[in-house]
Amino acid sequence: MMKKRFELASKSEVLSPFRKELRQLLGQAGWEKKSTEGILLAVDEALTNIIRHAYGGQPGTIVVLFEDDPAKTEIILEDLGKKFDPTTVPPPELPRQKPGGLGVHFIKTIMDRLVYDEAFKEGNRLHMIKLKSKNPKGEEVL
Amino acid sequence: MKIQVTSEGDLHILELVGELDYHSSPELREKLNELASKQASKVLVDLKGVDYMDSSGIATFVEAFQKAKRYQGRLVLAELTDTVRGVFEIAKLESIFEISPTVIEARERLAVKA
Repeated sequence: MMKKRFELASKSEVLSPFRKELRQLLGQAGWEKKSTEGILLAVDEALTNIIRHAYGGQPGTIVVLFEDDPAKTEIILEDLGKKFDPTTVPPPELPRQKPGGLGVHFIKTIMDRLVYDEAFKEGNRLHMIKLKSKNPKGEEVL
Repeated sequence: MKIQVTSEGDLHILELVGELDYHSSPELREKLNELASKQASKVLVDLKGVDYMDSSGIATFVEAFQKAKRYQGRLVLAELTDTVRGVFEIAKLESIFEISPTVIEARERLAVKA
């Protein structure tokens, strides 16, 4: 089991350096390049949503918990901003010919499970899970 | 992100190097808006140096594409890396944009097709 905790300032400058760290961790967790790039994109989109919508461009802190075990990699994002549950966002009509509105679609497409923690009252806590293997029916193996 | 803009007659080439995300996309949007305000008829974006792109990058291109369409301008994206191509695929936008495998092909496409 590998665990790591990050504390990020809610500003766009943090995205690129954080991706570098996460890319390294995903490599250590055994993900090949394509999956690594996918997970990076999903996490990046979720962080961007926190910066833009939860904190609305105002200063704030984002906690990122990275947890890896033989069955899955889980990334948990916590913020103390405005409530925003991406799991309730309806899928966009594709191809979307208007700018914007694709971030949550990317997250849902890439990750296997997305859990919004209703019990986290102070802000938002989002669990993003990528399974390492699936059974023949494509269902989760936990 | 580094953005180099060169102009050859009515053809404007933007060569991008680096990562295109929520932090860097405003700079690209500004360059593309400048070209749109001049009603640039042919814009070629060379993406071979872009190793990462998120939905902010996609949104920037969608906006530029829509603006160009309004004045019959053209926007061609060239030499997408696998990672960037993957992002266009998830958004199902490969068929909406004019995408060329190479810069040479993109130049030919812009020169020939009206």
